[in-house]
Amino acid sequence: MRATLPLLRNYTPAAVLLRRAPVLPDLSQDALLHAAREAARCLPEGQPVNLCEDRGLFLLGFVAALLRGQTTLLPPGRAPGVVADIVRAHPGSYLLCDGDFPDAGAPRHQIGWPAAGGAAEARAPEIPQDHAAAIVFTSGSTGGPQPHVKSWRSLYLTAGLCAERFLGRLDSGVSIVATVPPQHMYSLETSILLALAGGCSTHASRPLLPEDVRAALAAVPAPRLLVTTPVHLRALAASGVRFSPLQLVISATAPLSAELARAAEDALGAPVHEIYGCTEAGSMCTRRTLDGPRWRPYPELRMAHRDGMTHVAGPHLDAPVATPDVIESHADGTITLLGRTADMVKIAGKRASLTELTGKLLGVPGVQDGVVFLPGEETPRARLAALVVAPGLAEAAILDALARQMDPVFLPRPLKKVDRLPRNALGKLPREQLLALLRA
Amino acid sequence: MSAAQSPAEKEMAELIVTALNIEHVTADKIAPGAPLFGSHTDGLGLDSIDALEIALAVSERYGVQLRADDANNKQVFSSLGSLTDFVHRQKRAAA
Repeated sequence: MRATLPLLRNYTPAAVLLRRAPVLPDLSQDALLHAAREAARCLPEGQPVNLCEDRGLFLLGFVAALLRGQTTLLPPGRAPGVVADIVRAHPGSYLLCDGDFPDAGAPRHQIGWPAAGGAAEARAPEIPQDHAAAIVFTSGSTGGPQPHVKSWRSLYLTAGLCAERFLGRLDSGVSIVATVPPQHMYSLETSILLALAGGCSTHASRPLLPEDVRAALAAVPAPRLLVTTPVHLRALAASGVRFSPLQLVISATAPLSAELARAAEDALGAPVHEIYGCTEAGSMCTRRTLDGPRWRPYPELRMAHRDGMTHVAGPHLDAPVATPDVIESHADGTITLLGRTADMVKIAGKRASLTELTGKLLGVPGVQDGVVFLPGEETPRARLAALVVAPGLAEAAILDALARQMDPVFLPRPLKKVDRLPRNALGKLPREQLLALLRA
Repeated sequence: MSAAQSPAEKEMAELIVTALNIEHVTADKIAPGAPLFGSHTDGLGLDSIDALEIALAVSERYGVQLRADDANNKQVFSSLGSLTDFVHRQKRAAA
């Protein structure tokens, strides 16, 4: 077995890797390599926490770090307190930024595009298979972000599985436009690695609104792949905007209802497929939503439910992983998703532990007691709520303090002050009583 | 500190409160100049998911497609006043 894998699969120097229209010219695989070598020379020692918001600069920083043998740290969001937690746990890390970022206790390195030009490289650089290319983080109930190391091999191979499953080939030249920030595992796979190791190009933007998505899609050539989430699909389907012809839409991070999938297929004129994955294992299974509730795992992926967790293993993974999801396996190899262990919630497609979020609330100075909970069903528009005992604090001040410690989508809405929490004899908080206090 | 809302701003404030399901916020208390995003103390503390919902509600009510993909476009979202102003200018231009 080779010890290395190429940075670019099927290296084709003149093929477009990064699309930046209409703002900047496109970059070929070779031009991006040249830029990354320049950028790599300027990187400080250590591990970069890649906070770039521009997908092209994120890609530049990620590739530059690989060339330097560094490990990219990917925080689960931009809350400065969360970034600071990661920095504290990884001494020697530095912030890699393409814009402003509040102080998080580490040196900052600003990254930008170097001057173009340079001789064409005959071959793609080789990256050691076992090199820790990235560390991604999940929310854990024990407090503090939980790290998951991703080898270059696992990222490279998973991207190949993804390209084969969705595109049927590893050299499709499909133009990817993604609405998801590149730091998220889903986006790292589908908007960065599908370009490096899946034979696609990726667009530098991160369009938010339907009109932004329209403009980004119009700026890239066919065939086009839109990588997005149910939150965005709902807006795209309802917008009435007309989009450029698409080959495929991929959605992930939260379940897509058949109803929304139908509306999205109508509005976008393309089949809508979903990825079921997790930060720990990356993408695991796929389906076309309108085909039904069952998911097809990647070939050679094994999933088994036991001890309240789903255990996942496969030759492309560094090690078996466990996820808090509950699945049912079928004889034909497909699976059905049944739910998740009660502590984990997904809000706007982002996963968090209620225990961890409650811990952060309790950590705000002046808060005497509190609880963060999901008052209703976990629908695409659901928000968390919180009850808090904090006689000397205004609700807005508590929310602003929390905003430093968690992704904005988890901020309780509403956060309501109460005199005391309805703890029972065991110290537990019965749900009906929480709901009653919330509505009072 | 709280300037009075114009009738157009009041209508936009009500649209925001309804679209975002934030009934604990009183629409007519949203100061036209206060920041919509970021701070909860100085403003509404909205996030990017809210921007999406607002854009949808605005396109349905006023037929105007908002954009957020550059610094100038993001400015539109900075306050109730700037959002109302932009939407109504777009409407007049399209008329």
